[in-house]
Order: sequence, then structure tokens, then C-alpha cells
Amino acid sequence: MILKVEGLSKSFGGLKAVNDARFAVAEASIHSIIGPNGAGKTTLFNLITGAIPPDSGTATFDNVDITRWTPDRLARAGLARTFQRTSIFKELPVDENVALAIRAREGISRAVWQSRGDAQMVAAEARDILARVGLDSRANAKAGDLAHGFQRALDIAIGLALKPRLILMDEPLAGMSRGDRETVASLITMLRDTLGLTVVVVEHDVGMVMRLSDRITVMQHGAVIADAPPDEIRDNAAVRSAYLHGSFAA
Amino acid sequence: MSDLAANPALERRASGRGLLIAGAALVAVAGALVPFWTTGAPFLLMLASQAVIAAILALSLDLLTGNTGLLSFGHAAWFGFGAYVAGLLAKLVTPEMLIVVPTTVIAACLVAAVTGAVLVRQIGKTFAILTLALSQIMFALVFVASDITGGEDGLQGVPVMTVLGQPVVQAQTWYWLLYGVLLAALAASLHIRRSPLGRAWLSIRENAERARFIGIDVNGLKLLAFVMSAGLGALAGALLALFNGAASPDLLSWFESGKILMFVVLGGVGTLVGPVLGGIVFTFAEHYVSSLTSAWLIYFGGLFILIVIVAPGGIFGVLGHAWRRMQGQGR
Ligand SMILES: Nc1ncnc2c1ncn2[C@@H]1O[C@H](COP(=O)(O)OP(=O)(O)O)[C@@H](O)[C@H]1O
Ligand SMILES: [Mg+2]
Repeated sequence: MILKVEGLSKSFGGLKAVNDARFAVAEASIHSIIGPNGAGKTTLFNLITGAIPPDSGTATFDNVDITRWTPDRLARAGLARTFQRTSIFKELPVDENVALAIRAREGISRAVWQSRGDAQMVAAEARDILARVGLDSRANAKAGDLAHGFQRALDIAIGLALKPRLILMDEPLAGMSRGDRETVASLITMLRDTLGLTVVVVEHDVGMVMRLSDRITVMQHGAVIADAPPDEIRDNAAVRSAYLHGSFAA
Repeated sequence: MSDLAANPALERRASGRGLLIAGAALVAVAGALVPFWTTGAPFLLMLASQAVIAAILALSLDLLTGNTGLLSFGHAAWFGFGAYVAGLLAKLVTPEMLIVVPTTVIAACLVAAVTGAVLVRQIGKTFAILTLALSQIMFALVFVASDITGGEDGLQGVPVMTVLGQPVVQAQTWYWLLYGVLLAALAASLHIRRSPLGRAWLSIRENAERARFIGIDVNGLKLLAFVMSAGLGALAGALLALFNGAASPDLLSWFESGKILMFVVLGGVGTLVGPVLGGIVFTFAEHYVSSLTSAWLIYFGGLFILIVIVAPGGIFGVLGHAWRRMQGQGR
């Protein structure tokens, strides 16, 4: 199990945004987290990636307790994420967005001197990664000038540039056209199959989730109400009731 | 290269770049010739020297604000710190500049590393206000230690400085020394801007949260910028005190901090060259306008507001715009 979440909890005022969440993610798998809006999925990501400290509970990455690690330390350890609200460097060129992540991964963000060869290697790798998400033809554009779907793809490319072992993607398909959604979905599958990358993904499109996932964790009101392979989730009574009462399709 | 020549647009841009570099070199050489133009006007040379110091000071603030987006309302703290520490070292220890100046800069970097460790964790307004507070503390220290600092009268009697034992007396020599420091600092700053460190700084200014999540040590890099900015600011202060042979508490005032911020905004935040121009233009303008009217501060205040609203890119932004239009007309 590459990621283990044990009893993570977080309250905002009186609201238990995440309540004693527990589940485990197998290496080289696609693990989806679903649940109605406000179920606590993004907060859970924030707890795992060190964006906010949990009230209690632990997260274990590759058998190391990472609870309260800072996001930059986690990124360097091979845990990357993308954001529900696209988070890129809008004023910088597309390829520089990716190059920044490559240099951070290589630990040369503080360098004041870079050989021409190193610079070319970083640039070449950035091109490769951009090609993977279909952005190579826009490498020189200003990131903020990209269409919404491309900005989301860039967010993923930045995550991939870290060569992570585990990547958490918060609604990567949101606001994308049907064609782009298929492209990103097959990218996620490809990442698992060719690179052995583990992907934890929050997604609302249940059909897509059933097709894509090796395992699904269902959250409601901050708690995990089901955690099983797709077939079992389909037949789960608690999940069905969440579908009926919650705004799943949102 | 044959690809370049085959593409007229690229070729024009390449030749434009060459032109720009040639122009910059020309301006740099013209700056070095100032002592020859001003042979009959010693006052003008002195003013030019002050302008060069202001340019170094403006550049030092842009290292912080332009690179990381951290806005300092108290940058005069480092200017004054450098002036007093260098002045005191010269008076009490040695007039050898190669000892006094590096020691002063290192001392400023150390103080900045300690205070900055707390400050850079704050963002936006909190950071700005804490920098102001820090400068006020340094201002107060001058009066607390008035036995050695001279208090309100300022620090007087800084001896004639030496470089490798040779006294630096001539105004021309001083000018070249200051101008050399400015060029070196500007060249280093421009180089760093293009290096991985400079790019990482820009990513912090752009989107600090994302920078953190790609593994950049955001607070560490902010601290580095803070320390470098303080060090260069103190260098400017040291040069001023040694050049003038005196330091005054005004150097640490909030008014001075505001002026430094104005150099940077006037020149163009984050452009490095812009703030250098801002410091120079402001110093000359301040001298001539203040000799014309005692209400000069009102005009500067108005100008400041106008720039922020009409030309937020400052002098550099306006020049860049004009340059691109000229390039466009060449088509
Ligand atoms: N920083 C915060 N401060 C206060 N409440 C928050 C904060 N972040 C999330 N919440 C609340 O926690 C709950 C879970 O939100 P979130 O994790 O974003 O849900 P999801 O991603 O599943 O839609 C919501 O009720 C939300 O309003
Ligand atoms: Mg969410």
C-alpha cells in the first residue's frame, strides 16, 4: 500500500469537514474518491498533502509517516497533486511552468548558474511532458492565454514533471469537453500502465469513475461510507442512498 | 543560424536585440564618462554620485519586491544600517574600504537572516508593516546609542577612506568606484534573474502556493531574497556614509523608505533596470524641483499616483512600449 490514511479528521468551526477517514491505496493503481459536493474530498487532499494540518489521524506514504510534512517536502519525496481550481503560473510561458517543476525536482531551484547543456536537457524534458498532455504546440504561449481545458492539462503536466510515485488529482476532468475528458482519462490509464504511477483522483462522472478505477472510496459528510472495487460499489446500499439524497451528478 | 536568416520576423527580432544590447552598452559607457563632462562642475559630479548610490539602493529593493512580490515599507532600515555600521567601523577600526564595506554587508546579511526568518513567513500587509516596524526600531536605536552614533546630529568625522592603503580623495575616483559597484550589481542581478534561482523567485511572486506544491522551499527562497536585498541596501548605505563622510538618522526614516519604494515604482517594479533609472531620475528631479519650489513633495506625490494609475510599468514599461512600437513600424 503506497498510501495509508488512518483516522484523519479536520473540523472547521463546528463543521466536521473530514471525519475519521480511513482507506489505503495500492501501488500502481487508479483509486477514485467520489462523493457529493462538500463531502470533504478536497479537504482530505489538503490534509494528505500538508496544505493544512489535521486535527488527528495519520497519513503514511510508502510506509513513512508523512503527517504534518510540508507540501514542498512531500513534493520532493514524490507526492504530487493538481488542484480543483486550476493552479498554474499564468504570467509565465507554458514550457517554463513545467521547467520550474523539473528544476525543483532536480534540486536546482537555487542554482545561479546552469550550464547550456543542463538548460537544454530541462527544456527537452519539458517538451516531452507537454507532448504527453497534448500541449507541445503551445509551449511558448503564456500559460494564462490557454483555454480552460488546456490550463487543466498544464496543471497535470506540472504534477507529472515532478516524476512522482503518487499523484492526487482533484477533479482533473472538470469543465473539459467530452473529447478532452477522454484524452485525460486515457492519459491517467497510460500513466499507471507504463510508468507504474499511482493516481488518486476525485471525479464526479460516475460512469467514467467505474470504468477507470481499480478501487473507489465514497465519502459523505466527511466520512468514508464505502471503500471497494467498482463492482461492489455499484451494488452498495449506502452508496445508492447517497446517490439518491446527494447531488452526485454536480 | 540559417533558420534565423530565413525567417524575416526572427531576423528582425535578432537584429533588434543586437541594437538593444549596443544601446545599453552605449548608455553604460556614457555613464562612465560623466566625470569628463562635469570637469567644471564639481557639484554636478557629486549629484551624479548620489544618483548612482540611489540607483544601487533602488536595485536592492527590487531584488526583494520585484523577484518575490514582497513589498517592504521599511527598506531604509538596511540603507541606514549600512551607513552607520560602515561609518562607525571607519571611525573606530580602520579606514580600509576593502575591510569596512564587506564587514558591513555581512553584518547586514546576518541581521536580515535572523529578522527575515520571522518576517518572510508573513504575507502582504503584515510583512509590509513589520518591515516598517523594523526600520523604526533601527531609527530609535540611533538615538538610544547617541553616545556613539551622534544621535540627532548624525555621525560625523568619518575619515578619508583607503583602498589597499591608497586614500580615495578625488571626486572622479569616487564616482568611478560607485559606478563600478552599480554596474556589477546590476549585471549580477540580471544574471540571477535568468538563472534557475531567478525563475524560482518569479514563480513565488506568481503563485506561491503552486510553487510550494512543486517542491520549492518558498520561505527559504523568500529569505534568500530578503537577505540579498538587505545586503545590497546596506552596501549602498555604506558607500553613502563613506562618500559623504557622515550619516544622519534621516537615512533610516519612513520617508526615506517611501522614497526608495518610489524609485522602484517610478522605474518599473521587477525590471531591475527600471528601478536603477528610477533612482537616478528621482535624485536629479528631487534636487532641481526642490530648488524651484518648496511644495515639491506635493508634485512628487501627484506624480507617484499618476504613474501607479496611468503607467503601472513605470519608466521601463513606457520605454519598452515605445521600443516595441518602433520595432513594429519597421515592418
Ligand atoms: N478552509 C475552510 N474553512 C472553512 N470551511 C471549509 C474550508 N475548506 C472546506 N470547508 C468546508 O468543508 C466542507 C468540505 O469541503 P470540501 O473538502 O471542499 O468538499 P468537496 O471537495 O468534497 O466538495 C464544506 O462544507 C466546505 O464548505
Ligand atoms: Mg472539492
